[in-house]
Formats: sequence, structure tokens, C-alpha cells
Amino acid sequence: MSDDEINMDDSAESDQGEEDECLSEDDGIALESHDPNASEYRENAEPDNEVLNHDQLEAEMKKTIADVQAVLQVKSGTCRILLHKYKWNKESLLERFYEHPDTNAFLIDAQVIPRHTEKLPCGESECDICCMVSELSGLACNHRACTPCWRSYLTNKILDGAQSEIECMAANCKLLIEDEKVMFYITDPAIIASYRRLIVASYVETNRLLKWCPGVDCGKAVRVNHCEPRLVVCSCGSRFCFSCGNDWHEPVNCRLLKLWMKKCSDDSETSNWINANTKECPKCMITIEKDGGCNHMTCKNTTCRFEFCWMCLGPWEPHGSSWYNCNRFDDTVAKTARDAQELSRANLQRYLFYYNRYMGHQQSLRLEGKLYATVKSKMEQMQTLSMSWIEVQFLRKAVDILSECRRTLMFTYAFAFYLRRDNNSIIFETNQKDLEMETEQLSGFLERDLETENLVTLKQKVQDKYRYVEHRRRILLDHCSEGAEQDLWQFNE
Amino acid sequence: MSNIALNRLQRECKEVVTNSEVSETGIMIEILNENLTEIKGHIRGPPDTPYAGGMFDLDIKIPEAYPFSPPNASLEAVKFTTKIWHPNVSSQTGVICLDILKDQWAASLTLRTVLLSIQALMCSPEPKDPQDAVVAKQYMDKPQVFKDTAAFWTLKFANGTVPVNAEYQNRVDKLKDMGVREEEAISVLSCNNWDLNRATVYIFS
Repeated sequence: MSDDEINMDDSAESDQGEEDECLSEDDGIALESHDPNASEYRENAEPDNEVLNHDQLEAEMKKTIADVQAVLQVKSGTCRILLHKYKWNKESLLERFYEHPDTNAFLIDAQVIPRHTEKLPCGESECDICCMVSELSGLACNHRACTPCWRSYLTNKILDGAQSEIECMAANCKLLIEDEKVMFYITDPAIIASYRRLIVASYVETNRLLKWCPGVDCGKAVRVNHCEPRLVVCSCGSRFCFSCGNDWHEPVNCRLLKLWMKKCSDDSETSNWINANTKECPKCMITIEKDGGCNHMTCKNTTCRFEFCWMCLGPWEPHGSSWYNCNRFDDTVAKTARDAQELSRANLQRYLFYYNRYMGHQQSLRLEGKLYATVKSKMEQMQTLSMSWIEVQFLRKAVDILSECRRTLMFTYAFAFYLRRDNNSIIFETNQKDLEMETEQLSGFLERDLETENLVTLKQKVQDKYRYVEHRRRILLDHCSEGAEQDLWQFNE
Repeated sequence: MSNIALNRLQRECKEVVTNSEVSETGIMIEILNENLTEIKGHIRGPPDTPYAGGMFDLDIKIPEAYPFSPPNASLEAVKFTTKIWHPNVSSQTGVICLDILKDQWAASLTLRTVLLSIQALMCSPEPKDPQDAVVAKQYMDKPQVFKDTAAFWTLKFANGTVPVNAEYQNRVDKLKDMGVREEEAISVLSCNNWDLNRATVYIFS
């Protein structure tokens, strides 16, 4: 077992919560018995995603490459470029490969073998790049340069361009350089390491079933079986939405959440700057800053590379002939923006209503962190009175459920903000009201002073309450997801 | 700067100077400092264009990673210092929109090819991929006004010799009489298709 795997197992355990620590202080054996027990309710919701570290990703990537290589019979570096082009979907690559009548033409189209090969004499001659006479070498296209020039070129592309797919150095030669060549020219281990990281990064970023964990300094990726918005959990403890990388935000969907978060941060300087200086790529929605003069934009996201017009955000293609349509379109955009502004002013009161509640729950959710500590001491206290360790675990579970409810409630306000009023929205609001009321009651129980209560009655009350609250939460979420499936929700954006 | 870049640049400068290209193509390079990071380019306005007869100066800043990153790796590293009226050049800052200065750059291209490409761009502007939308609009909608304006700018800012629309000078003088600087007067009039009233409103409102 490698170090990494050991680390992973460790962190998987600590994922269960801070209480592990408090328990191990006084009772080491209990640790094992409590673990499955404590996460009982979570297990239903616990996602079945896989967590992979850098080495595992690399190994997995190599395996896919080897599979393809066995069929295509080309270098593994070439296979990697091909797989990258097909977003690491092995089946679709092989399908295309078999469909294509001419293997050579297929490889030329994929920019892995040259269209033209220039015949050149071997031996020493003058390098076109640095103008010095030395031994020249090059790619299959026979565009040649001396080794130091290749090294500088590749280093520059890797460090500054952060590219893992690098084109030949010659002008207008689109041949992609296979990994073997890159490794051949680059000798500095630090740069080789960067290149390997880039390869793995491009593997994760182009693969629809993989996503980097957003946790600070985590560096692991999670894998799912289907690409959809869902809760995933990393071994570092981060819980996030697979689709957008934010905190898990059921019932609101990713698109509305993004709108909401943007709206919420409208007041801050950063978001003012973002609004003034960036737009989103119309295809992949990544935020883009314009750093050059002309309006012909190319998205820098490796998987996207969409070319579009900065003015109208439409594809660039038709602009070759009708750029001036954009001038006129610009007026409409400005007008829409002005209208939207007026609308948002009129809606400000409404927005603040939802925002305050959203932030209120967020604040409470943060404070539940403290509650864990309080509850821990209460649990110790109760054990000194009359209860056994196992009997006091209900308190911890109550806080777990309370936190989940807070999170859900928080996002219901983002959902509600965009929701258009109709009969379904009234049902939703009733569910929301119910959940909120019950959550506050549960919160109240947990903050109450324990000594004044009969412990058995308290336990009974808390357990009843959290079961009921969790049940209400489930009902609300089910109602929301059913509505989404049947397209019942109407949103105002 | 790396050795590769120094070698390269020395060779490139020699190439432009020795090829007696100044007379043939009208491009020239002037070295401003010893370590070759700042270079001045000169382009003679190509004949049969509104730029004919003018001499246009450019600032070229060589990036650290030259020739592996383009001269335009940072914004505005290659720009006109002579004011020029052209759809692909900002009439305010002189910044140039040219693909080989950015993503289409290849290490095998040289300063000479860059200057020649800019000269070619002067011969055939690409208004569909503009840097200066006002100029581009004029180029598309009022080709004659564009030509006259570009020629006027050449005469005024690039030591041109070709005579130009005399009416333009009159209007500039009128604005000057109102206390407007000549450069501003020319710029505002050009942007307003030489409509004196609109230019006046623009300046004084």
C-alpha cells in the first residue's frame, strides 16, 4: 500500500466529523463501534463517488491509453492526444477510428501525423530559430530546430502557456507534439513534473466523469458514473456539487445558483469589477476577461476553445461577413441591460427579503460548527449523569441533521427567489415554512440547558423532532425534484 | 534575455539592414538599447494607399521569452507611435490587431515578417476584424471619406507629402480658432465624418 492510499483512508475516517477526536480522547474502542452507527442516516444520502489522487489518475489514464494503443498501434503519446480530442471517451474514439476508411487521413485530421513532410538533408545546418549552426532535429513533419531551441520552446509552452497539447514550432504547422518527444527534449525534472501535472489536469478537465475537488490544497479528483448535478464527497471532507463545484445546493439548480451567487455578491468591489470587465463564455460559461483589443474572442478553457464575438456573444463564424450587425445588436443589449436594471431596482425589496433569509441560514449553519463543541461537552456531561456512551449519540446526530436542514433551507431561498408564483410554488412555500419552523424548534431543543430537563424525555423529544424534521426535509426536496422532472417549475430570471 | 534571443535579434537586425530593404520594401529597424529589448520600427506608407508618402514609426518591446512568445505577448508591445487612421489600429493608442502578433505567432517568424505583415495590413485593411470600430465603420460606409481622412492623417502626423482635401484643413482651422488643440480637432472631426457641427457639439458638451 502506498503512502497516498494510507492518507486517503485516514482522511476518509476523519470525514465522519469532529466528534471522532472527542471520543478517541476517552475511549479508543468506542471509535470503531460508533462509526457506522453515527453515519447511519447519512449513508442513505452518501454518494458512491470514487476519489482519486494524482498517481491513481495517472495510472488510470495510462490504462486507458494502453487499451487504445493495443488497437490503434501508434505511440502512447499519440494515443493520449487522440483520447484528449475525444474527451477521453475511448468508445467514441475507437468507433470513429473504425468508421474512418483511411487510417492515415484519420490521424492527419487529428493533427498527430503531418499532412506534408518536407525532405531535408540530415546533419548539421543552421537553426532557423536561433541562427546558429548545430545538429538539428524535429518532428515527423521535418520542421527542424536545434535541441536548445526545442527545449526553450516547449518550456515556454508548458510554463507560460500551461498547455499539454503543443503544436509544432513552425508557422502554420498544426502537428501536435507527442509526449515522447516532449520528454526527449526536456531534461529539467521540475518541468517534466509540470508537464505530467498538465497532462493529468487535462485528463481530468476534459473527462466528463471527473472533477477536481475544490477543497483547499486537496488536489484529488472525484469520479462519478453519470455526469449530472449531484452531491459528491471527497476524502478530504469537501462536499460539493459535481456539476458546478459549489457547496451541495439542492433544491436550487446550478444555473440559478450561479445567478443567485452573482447577485448576492453584487455589492462587493470584486463583483463590480467582474461585472464591468468580464463576460461568460457563451458555450462553457467560464468567466472571461478581455485582455486584447479586438472583439474576436477565443475561450482559453482547454475543453472549449469556442470562438465568439465579445459584443454579441454569438459565434464568431458569421461575423466575417456581418460584423456590423453587432453594432446594432449592441443597442438592444444596452437597452435590455437598462430594462433589467430597472426591473432589478423594482425587485430590490423582494431580493432583500430572500437574501436576508438566505444569509441568516448561512450564518446559522456556520454557528452550528460551534454547536458541535457545545454538544460534545453536553454529551460528556450526560454520560457522567446516567446515560451510556451509546445513548447520548442522538445529540450528535441531531446536530448533523440540523446542519443539513440549515443548508437545505438556505438554498430554498435562492430557489424561491427565482420561482414564479403558481399553485406549485405555494405548495413549495408551505413545505419550506414547515421545515423552517421545525428546524428552529430542533435548534431550540439543542440549545436548551440540559440539567433542567429529564434526560429520557429530552432524548425522546429530540429524537422525535429530528426524525420529523428530516422527514419534512425529504418531502420538500422530493417535491422539488419531482417538479423539476415534470417541468413544473417556472422561473423568473 | 536569453542567449537564443540575443543571437536571434542580432541576426534579425542585420537581416533587415543589410538586405537593402529600406529602399525595396520600405521597412527599417532601429535599435534603442544595447540589450535589444526596445526596438524602433519604421514602415514607409505603401504606394497607392492613403498612407503613401508617409513614414510610420512603431515601438517594439521584445519579451523575455522571445522568440518563443510573440512580440505582443504583453498588451501593446508592438504599436504605432505615429498616429494612423486605420481600421485595425487604434486611432487613440496605436495598438495593432494582427493575428501573428498574438495567437498565430510562430517562433520561425521574425521582426522582418512582422513589419512586412503590418505593411500588408496597411495595404489591405480588415474592417471585419477591427481594432478601432469607428474607423472600421467609416471604412465600410464611407470609403471616400475614409481615404481622405487616412491621407490627411498621413500628411499631418507621418510627414506625408501627398496633397489632401483642403476643406478638411479649413474645418480643423475653424476648431483651432475656437481654442481646440490641432490633434484633438483632427481626431474628433475624423470620428464624426468631418461634420463640423457634430464635432463642435462633441467637444463643447
